[in-house]
Amino acid sequence: MLAKARGHAPATGDSALVRALMIATALGFLLLFLVLPLASVFVEALRRGVGAYWAALVEPDALAAIQLTLTVAAIAVPMNLVFGIAASWCIAKFDFRGKDLLITLIDLPFSVSPVISGLIYVLLFGLHGLIGPFLKSQGIQIIFAVPGLVLATVFVTFPFVARELIPLMQEQGTEEEEAALVLGASGWQTFWRVTLPNIKWGLMYGVLLCNARAMGEFGAVSVVSGHIRGETNTMPLHVEILYNEYNFVAAFSVASVLALLALVTLVAKAVLEWRFGAELAATRH
Amino acid sequence: MAIQVSGITKRFGSYLALDSVDLEVRSGELLALLGPSGSGKTTLLRIMAGLEHADAGSLQLHGEEALGLKPRERQVGFVFQHYALFRHMTVFDNIAFGLKVRPRGQRFASAEIKRRVMELLELVQLAHFADRYPAQLSGGQRQRVALARALAIEPKVLLLDEPFGALDAKVRKELRRWLRKLHDDIHVTSVFVTHDQEEALELADRVVVMSQGRIEQVGSPAEVYDHPASAFVYEFLGQVNRFDCAVEDGVAKAANGALSIATDGAVQGPAIAYVRPHDLGLSPTVGGPGRVSSIQVVGPDARIEVDLAGLVLEAEMDRERLGVLGLSPGDRCAVHIDRARVFARR
Repeated sequence: MLAKARGHAPATGDSALVRALMIATALGFLLLFLVLPLASVFVEALRRGVGAYWAALVEPDALAAIQLTLTVAAIAVPMNLVFGIAASWCIAKFDFRGKDLLITLIDLPFSVSPVISGLIYVLLFGLHGLIGPFLKSQGIQIIFAVPGLVLATVFVTFPFVARELIPLMQEQGTEEEEAALVLGASGWQTFWRVTLPNIKWGLMYGVLLCNARAMGEFGAVSVVSGHIRGETNTMPLHVEILYNEYNFVAAFSVASVLALLALVTLVAKAVLEWRFGAELAATRH
Repeated sequence: MAIQVSGITKRFGSYLALDSVDLEVRSGELLALLGPSGSGKTTLLRIMAGLEHADAGSLQLHGEEALGLKPRERQVGFVFQHYALFRHMTVFDNIAFGLKVRPRGQRFASAEIKRRVMELLELVQLAHFADRYPAQLSGGQRQRVALARALAIEPKVLLLDEPFGALDAKVRKELRRWLRKLHDDIHVTSVFVTHDQEEALELADRVVVMSQGRIEQVGSPAEVYDHPASAFVYEFLGQVNRFDCAVEDGVAKAANGALSIATDGAVQGPAIAYVRPHDLGLSPTVGGPGRVSSIQVVGPDARIEVDLAGLVLEAEMDRERLGVLGLSPGDRCAVHIDRARVFARR
């Protein structure tokens, strides 16, 4: 709580000088490491004018990369949404053997390097992998194709929703669900009317983070992609290729779209929090 | 008979929470399950509601075997200690929940649901709070909403788990009286769990005293207080002096012979005597066997600690009586016991 009367520093506060210094440090840090790099992306992208910027974006390979990134995210995020709710539901509301193991497994993608995550799928589904030859004989291609990109993205973004929901659901306990069941609700009604509304904010936050990561993932996707232009290049991979070709304007143009997507995500979150702030506070009483 | 519990047993791992419990709940009565934590009272209540599975035994609700039924099929109202209100719904929607989730064929029209909810809100005196969220209510108000929500489905029995446990002392007392009055008005068969003996004795028609997964005694508040069936009930209900004695020919002797108590003669040999503080009489006697070691005044009552040849006993009387006796710390006195219970030592 802020002290209302001017001139009276709160008991936990420091002198004005210390406060100014700390604020300046924080702002300076933000400016140097976040705002400046972000701004430079847009400055570099627009270096040759809006015409060149636009041309780089509507070029077929760039369009294909944008489309592919959105497709992969559109598949991976809903998958992890369902998985995240299911996992946190059973972890938070039930006791069973192997629960700790499951929690550890959910964290695995955070602790493993994304490159390794990609390699796992190459080793499994690649031409010389464990089940790759069988799939090949069935005419199914996973590695160097969209399914591989989706799998790698799902693996890497696996923990976001679950990690957000588990502590929230554990804190909320099971009493409201029990109350609903005694009042005559079915399991399904209980989930839709009681459980889901109680976790919607945490869920939204998890989905936003998951989506941001799904669109921006580089390492794991890079290993399974094969870098086929116009086919298996997602936006981050396309940026890298353009950059390596010294095509800076195009590279930064595509990068600026990625940055914009991230900014839109953040703004959406801020708007929702502002709009439903009171309700948000109520669900965390 | 509203509820018939026979041989209900429940284990949590190796811990025996309920040990073959038998209990009958009569139609329309308000029954208290009283016991310390770990006595199995909440587990028994949750088994009645279907929120916990019994390992063995049978449970009949109004003559119908209910152990195989899901909670939603039992038509019981359940009130949780921490209310368990749906935090994202208004008071109105909380109470309407049980009516809205009914299958399409059995559901009332929304005007009828509204009428019933408003009626319940009147009943719990919260008509002006229909649009509030639970977080905007006080503890006592939340508990009344929880009660209205449980009553909305017109339950055959109402089960309450420590209904006043999370409230402060003053609100608890008010709400207790209010609930007693409500029960007198609507007569729904109710079972409530409590660890607070005062609450059980004041509120209930009958009290079930539980300990370590077993029922120690069932009876009216006066019965269990005046005639405890076991040493446990004696110690659990109210203040009591507990001391070793030896019984010979119907007379219990304690404090090296300084105290003699007549017994009903059922017990012989080493025993434990229980005496309520207000059954302990004192009279000032020069050179008497007892010595007043301290006097503590609590509101209208006085607690007097007496040292009787090394045995420390507590007596209780009102302050007026103490004034008449004129006892003060250090005085000698005689001790006589109006009523005591003696249990053989095991």
